[in-house]
Amino acid sequence: MNAQAITRTSPLATWVGVGIVAGVVVAIILLLEASGSAFWQGIFITLGMFIILAVSLNLASGFTGVFSLGHIGFMALGAYIAAILTLPVENKEELLNLPGWLATIHLDFTVGTFPLGFLTATLIAGLIASLLAVVVGAVLMRLSGHFVAVATLGFLVIVRVVLINADDFTRGARTFSNVTPYTDLWWVYGWAAVTLYTIWRIKFSAYGRAMFAQREDVAAARSVGIVIMRSRLFAFVVSAFFTAVAGSLWGHFITSFSPNAFYFDLTFRVITMLVVGGMGSVSGSVVGPVLITALAEALRRLEDYNQLYGISGISLALLFLIIIIFRPNGLMGSREFDVEWLGQRVLRALSFGRRREGEKPERFPAGE
Amino acid sequence: MNTVAVKRLFAAAFVLGILLSLPVLSLAQEGDPIVIGGGFGLTGGMASLDVPASNGALLAVQEINAAGGVLGRPLEIVVLDSQTEPDTTAQIARQMIEENQIVASVGFTDSDSALAFGPIMQEAGLPFITAGATSPKLPDQIGDMMFMAPFGDNTQAAVAAEYAFENFGPNGYLLTNLGSEYTRLLADFFKIRFEELGGTLVLEDTFELATSDFTPQITRLSALGTQPDFYFISSLPEDIGPFARQMRDAGFDGPIVSGDGADTPLLIEVGQEAANDVYFTTHALMDGENGTEAVQAFVAAYTEEYGHAPENAFAALGYDAVYLLADAIERAGSTDAVAIQTALNETENFAAVTGSITFTGGSRVPQKAVTIIQVVDQQLTLAGEFVPESVPAAEPAEEPAATEAAA
Amino acid sequence: MNFGVYWAQQFLNGLSVGSQYALMAVGLAMVFGILRLINFAHGDVMMVAAYIGAFSLAAQVPLPLALLLVLLGTVLTGLLMERAAYRPLRRAPAVAVLLSSFAVGQILQNGTLLLSRLINQPVQMAFPTPDILQGAVLFNTFFGDLRLSRINLVSLIAGPILLVLLIIFIRRTTLGLSMRATAEDLQAAQLMGIDTNRVIMWAFVIGSLLAAVAGVLYASQAGQIKPDMGFTPVLKAFIAAVIGGFGSIPGAMIGGYVLGFLEVLLTALPGYGDLIRGSASPEVVTFLQTYLPTTLSRYRDAFVFVALIVLLLVRPGGILGTVDKE
Repeated sequence: MNAQAITRTSPLATWVGVGIVAGVVVAIILLLEASGSAFWQGIFITLGMFIILAVSLNLASGFTGVFSLGHIGFMALGAYIAAILTLPVENKEELLNLPGWLATIHLDFTVGTFPLGFLTATLIAGLIASLLAVVVGAVLMRLSGHFVAVATLGFLVIVRVVLINADDFTRGARTFSNVTPYTDLWWVYGWAAVTLYTIWRIKFSAYGRAMFAQREDVAAARSVGIVIMRSRLFAFVVSAFFTAVAGSLWGHFITSFSPNAFYFDLTFRVITMLVVGGMGSVSGSVVGPVLITALAEALRRLEDYNQLYGISGISLALLFLIIIIFRPNGLMGSREFDVEWLGQRVLRALSFGRRREGEKPERFPAGE
Repeated sequence: MNTVAVKRLFAAAFVLGILLSLPVLSLAQEGDPIVIGGGFGLTGGMASLDVPASNGALLAVQEINAAGGVLGRPLEIVVLDSQTEPDTTAQIARQMIEENQIVASVGFTDSDSALAFGPIMQEAGLPFITAGATSPKLPDQIGDMMFMAPFGDNTQAAVAAEYAFENFGPNGYLLTNLGSEYTRLLADFFKIRFEELGGTLVLEDTFELATSDFTPQITRLSALGTQPDFYFISSLPEDIGPFARQMRDAGFDGPIVSGDGADTPLLIEVGQEAANDVYFTTHALMDGENGTEAVQAFVAAYTEEYGHAPENAFAALGYDAVYLLADAIERAGSTDAVAIQTALNETENFAAVTGSITFTGGSRVPQKAVTIIQVVDQQLTLAGEFVPESVPAAEPAEEPAATEAAA
Repeated sequence: MNFGVYWAQQFLNGLSVGSQYALMAVGLAMVFGILRLINFAHGDVMMVAAYIGAFSLAAQVPLPLALLLVLLGTVLTGLLMERAAYRPLRRAPAVAVLLSSFAVGQILQNGTLLLSRLINQPVQMAFPTPDILQGAVLFNTFFGDLRLSRINLVSLIAGPILLVLLIIFIRRTTLGLSMRATAEDLQAAQLMGIDTNRVIMWAFVIGSLLAAVAGVLYASQAGQIKPDMGFTPVLKAFIAAVIGGFGSIPGAMIGGYVLGFLEVLLTALPGYGDLIRGSASPEVVTFLQTYLPTTLSRYRDAFVFVALIVLLLVRPGGILGTVDKE
């Protein structure tokens, strides 16, 4: 991997680096919980979910170069399926009109205080979304360029139409409410960690290399024996799983939603974060959401304070344009934050305390 | 662009973003003003209803302070924009609670936003009065801290059905906008009450959100053997103008009936002559000359403050919500949330601009009279104020069948 | 009403709705044909046209002058868009341009919102429909009395005229030829000495003009305008353009009419059920009345997109052939 670095690759350093990052995150979470500020917790929960969404979309679109504009459709499915499953029976009777067997399911059981039912519902939602993604992906991943973008947009519209019309299951255009607020910082960042780790591993695996290869040049990739459909489909399905998980988390955070929430606005927000962060970079899909969330919040306050409604929309769209014109690979491009480097610096600081002559650690080794 | 420069630029932007979003330290003295929250969708799809509502609320706060405030203290309202997005709505709810330390809140004219905002208020144990969301199920869905200033859709639909049945005839036409919870609920309730009375819906039809061309539906109407006595459209503010125009152009001069979604200046601005003989249920007639005394006073005050007459009844509802809250705080004698809640529950015959508000029998949906407005000579006139004889239950059993022409 | 009149009327409805969609779709196809850019901001350009029209007419500007202002303003917007956002992305992958068209649309929408607030206008404004577009006209025909609203009448006439003019322009003029050449192969055209920047500029001008007409017609019909009014039209325009063969101007026209007829048909069938109630079997009537409308009209958008996807898979060139033509 790091052909240029003089230092040896050190798994220990990597784990130390990861540990530090994890430690920082845990510290922030603990701080937020201690502060008791539901507002800031809310901001960070939303941030975490956007991280999951951005990195999943990165896998499906950034890695493979096959742009899916319809991924929020999977998020919608995740939210609805999980919410339907966890809704307590009385609420089900009042709000929905479910067939017998479904009406009796209520995955709101806990093991001690751990809401196992919520986890189960989320997993089921993710699974169903993945199965659907296999079918949808098999059809759509044959296309490329703007055709696939348009076709996946069609998927988004189709999901919305189905949700609006499946009144008995989803209350149609009416708000689906009274979802139990299971989501908290731990859930979100727990899932974010799982997602980031999984997608990181995929990126640096044979599948990942195949994806990046065919992103650059399909014909060349084929000529070295890469089966295009397989890598695209794999990316699409895995990404659908995590997107649906994000949907379930979101649904159980906001506790009431309707199909309108999962449409173009949300799609564009995630895409902005993805593009700004860098398509092809897992770290970019963390940087992008963080930056955009901070900016959006600042702009929102500015709007409220000065009554300059519209400023935030314009600013974020301008930012998107600037990035895509001047720095189309986003802030991180395809590069990653070098966790190992962090670990090594720390280890060195802790144990050795002196640098060997002429050895300059590479902050950002040349791109993969 | 230079990598280092770009990085620094974004680092700076990031830091700036964080700094700007930190809560500004409040300079107010401890405990002096009573702070309430005002959540409204000032941008986004609900703006045409929420902006007047927020204007009304601000006007109310101004007047109350001019008259000495609440419990001898000035009243302050924090108005934040929800952008008609559910997560922003939740965010501003939390922001108001934590950063502004509100004691209660008002806001929103639609159920989606109320459902995103309300539960957070409920959990914080703070009373929330919605200015215009009319879904009668809301207080049950959200909790015992949630009160409605307007009547429920079941009430206004019942009045519409009874009025139409008695004044126009037993044969009706129902056209529903499928794209909104409000319009579907209203249509459901209307159909239930109308058929209860013995009326028949000769034809039921639907249209998608943002349809501006009703020719297909009108053509279908033309194909009917005998025409219905009236045409009920369950619609949003953007539908009624074009619908009325196209109906009149096609030669349908019969009465067109609708709900409070038709309470919009767009009806007459867009409909012009076609708007004549349109009837709709709403909360109050905003007529500075012919309305009740309370309405006249409100219209005069609003016009003076904002330079134009109230756009629709939602302006008055925003105004009423604040006054209702202030009155409850006075009666409670304190800003304690439970005390305010009790006072609200005990509200009886509160004289609001939009009618008399009473929360009895544990229901937090007020039993108010419904105003029916008739358009005559492109002017809004009062057709009457009605209390329905019977109101359908808050949760209808099923969606209406899309079609069912009479035999 | 008898069978003949009913279907004749619905046919006329389909034609006028189709004309509106055709105008929108062709505007979109113009730009796509040359730049391979799916301009999602096209709907917002229509919105800008509507707003310019609204403000001019409200300020009592005489109709011809107001129209001129609308056309000028819209063309200016289109050119600005091209210069600022799309030209720098000439070499970028197609998806990047598509995404940036979303961003451009956002800027237009929010800009309009900001402006409206600054000059104290309500968010949803009434559109002062000019008298010439108000009311309806009655035709006495072979089938019976057919009614057509003035707006639909204008669409029916102006639509095809503009489109025919456009086809003549593309086929017969040098600039039109240059456009077709650039559409087929931008680099080859450059090598042949064609000033592609100018050609692209003209494509945007024509696209914007069509958007302006479509926008004013749409606003007249809807009666009111708001910053996000362009969303539905652009989606429909897009569907129409793909049905007909993306990039092909005649294709976009045909697509517009097909979509118009499809939409009208979906709502016409139940009406037909009403008509034949007495003479046909109850099962047929129920099928037409309950099953068909409930499934078709409520799921209409879904069906359209499924058809779209199938089309993309099977025949990416749409009805009129491959993308690379025209």
